[in-house]
Order: sequence, then structure tokens, then C-alpha cells
Amino acid sequence: MHTVWVRLNGVVFFGLTVLLCLSCLAAISKIGHTSSHAPVIEKLELKSLRSLKSHGGVDRALLSFDLKADMTPAFHWNIKQLFVYVVASYESTKNRNNQIVIWDKIVESIHPEDMMIELENVFVKYALVDQGDELRGKDVKLQLMWDHMPITGLLYMGEQPLSEASSFTLPTEYQ
Amino acid sequence: MIKDIIDKQVFELKKLWANKRQLTFQVLNLAMIVFSALMIWKGLMFVTKSESPVVVVLSGSMEPAFQRGDILFLNNAKHQVFVGDVVVFKIKDRDIPIVHRILKVHTDADSGEVELLTKGDNNRVDDRGLYAPGQLWLKREDILGKAVGTLRYVGMVTIALNDYPVLKYVLVGMMGLFVLTNKEG
Repeated sequence: MHTVWVRLNGVVFFGLTVLLCLSCLAAISKIGHTSSHAPVIEKLELKSLRSLKSHGGVDRALLSFDLKADMTPAFHWNIKQLFVYVVASYESTKNRNNQIVIWDKIVESIHPEDMMIELENVFVKYALVDQGDELRGKDVKLQLMWDHMPITGLLYMGEQPLSEASSFTLPTEYQ
Repeated sequence: MIKDIIDKQVFELKKLWANKRQLTFQVLNLAMIVFSALMIWKGLMFVTKSESPVVVVLSGSMEPAFQRGDILFLNNAKHQVFVGDVVVFKIKDRDIPIVHRILKVHTDADSGEVELLTKGDNNRVDDRGLYAPGQLWLKREDILGKAVGTLRYVGMVTIALNDYPVLKYVLVGMMGLFVLTNKEG
């Protein structure tokens, strides 16, 4: 049987198979990239605490921080963008662990000028809000993390080593 | 031209109907394809522990990372979730699951249960407005899975099929016809 339909079916099916194979090859081509190419985080630390208040029954802290990091090494040909974010984490009596994103940024591969992040005294995008009223006097750790978003293939995370993360202590009184 | 093709297919079907042995073979062939697809789907459900291991992105709220028509592979086998994970969650009384990123994780000291807040990368505000009225946090059980992989454009077919239901019958009908009339020897 060599009708037009059989041929068309064959061509479409073969085309799709080739595309799928190429996608898989693209996805596995950069496995292990992170082990030799790590972003360089020179600085991530609190600049100033703007306020620490009780806001509608829960504690809320507003702050600014300095960040200097070169994300260029994380990029390769199958990365569409990095989602870079700053996580504040602390312990409280109610919660064993609180993790809050206070700032984030999408760095796209088509904008290489964004890959070098250099920010001074930048204000948080999302306030540091507790579930209760336990922020006063807490040790808060700031850590930079990033998520690799591929054109096709697997998503994977990266983070600043905990040993290099900076921390600060919030005041014991509202201010 | 098209009439020729249709005539040919009708002729093939009539011939097939006359040959019961061949008909049985082709029907079994069709059944095998359908059940293989079903087995792969159920197998994925078992491995990923997710009720929906593959989802299609329907909105632009995660652009530019995920666009309408991309498909995501989910994994729900790992219980612990972290801040920054892209997860698919379901809101009570709403059919369509949402793909967004976790913004906050509070782990309770006694029970170890988590309360989560999510946000779409491309949205200006967090998802509290999308949750059920009065709901402030998501629980672990609301989450269908974490996105672990992506493949572009494949979901466009699904979106087209949903937008034009007629297409569904045309496509399935054509595929069935092909399998029935297409013989190897």
C-alpha cells in the first residue's frame, strides 16, 4: 500500500520522532554542567533594616540588601532563563523552619547584560512576614538560590553554599 | 483526488469486513495500541505518585519560562517541597490545576506539616486571590507534583483539541481507520 495517506503518515511520524530524539539529546547534552560551572556569589548581605512592625497581628520586617553575583557560568545553550531569588530563613517556636522569598529576578539568556547582578541597597520585593508575632530577636539567614529553566529537558536548582550564607539578628523591639 | 482516496478507504474497509480473520487481527491491533497508551499513563501515575504526571500549560502566568502549549512532567514522589519549586496545585471546587512557584514555606514545629504560598513568575501579586475564599495557605496535599521537565509546543495539540471538540472525533476516527486498513503484508 503506497497511498498518499500512508506516505504522509510516515513523513509526519518520522519527523516527530526525529524532533523528540533531538530534544532528548539536547536535554542530556549538558548533564554535569553545574559541577564545573558554578555562579560566583561575591556578596549577599543585609544593608539596612527599614522597619520591624506588627502589621495586622503578624510581624513584618522591611529591609534592604546588597547583592553581587555573576550568574553567567550557569548558562549554556539549553538554558532559556534563570530564576534567581533571595531566601530569608529562620526558626520560630510555632514553625520548625520558615523560608520566605524576599526578592527575585528572571535572567533571560537573550539578555547577557543581566547575568552580572550588582545591586546596592536594594529594597525587598516581598516583605519578610511571619505567620505570628515571632520576628523580634530572630536570627535570619539570607541565601541566594536559582532555578535553571531549560528550553527543553530537566529543571534543576542551584544554591549558594550554606557556609557562605550571611545572617543577621533582628532587634528585640519593634522599630 | 480526495474522492479517490475515500473510495479506496471504503473499498479497503469492505474487503476487511469480508475477511473476518483479517478483521479480528486489525481490531486486536487497534486495542493493543489503545491499551499500551493507557498502561504507559497508569505506569507513570504509579512511579510519580501524581494523579496527573503530565500537564499542559494553559496560561502565560509563568512566562517566559513556560508558555501556553508547553508540557510539564510532574513528580510527586518526593514529599518535601522547597521554596522556589515550580509546582502544580489544585484549588478546592476548581477543575483546572495551576502551575506556579512556591514563594513561602512554613514548616510546623509539632506536626511537621507545611503551609505554602505560591506566585506566578509573570504575575504582579501572590496567589491568595486565586485560592478559595478565606484560604490563606496551600497544604502539601493540594499539590499534584513538582515540575521536573519540560517539552515545548507538544501541548498545542491538546489545546487545539479542547478548543475545537470536533477535531477530536476527526483525529481519532482517522487514526482508527488507518490502523484498521493499514496492513503490513
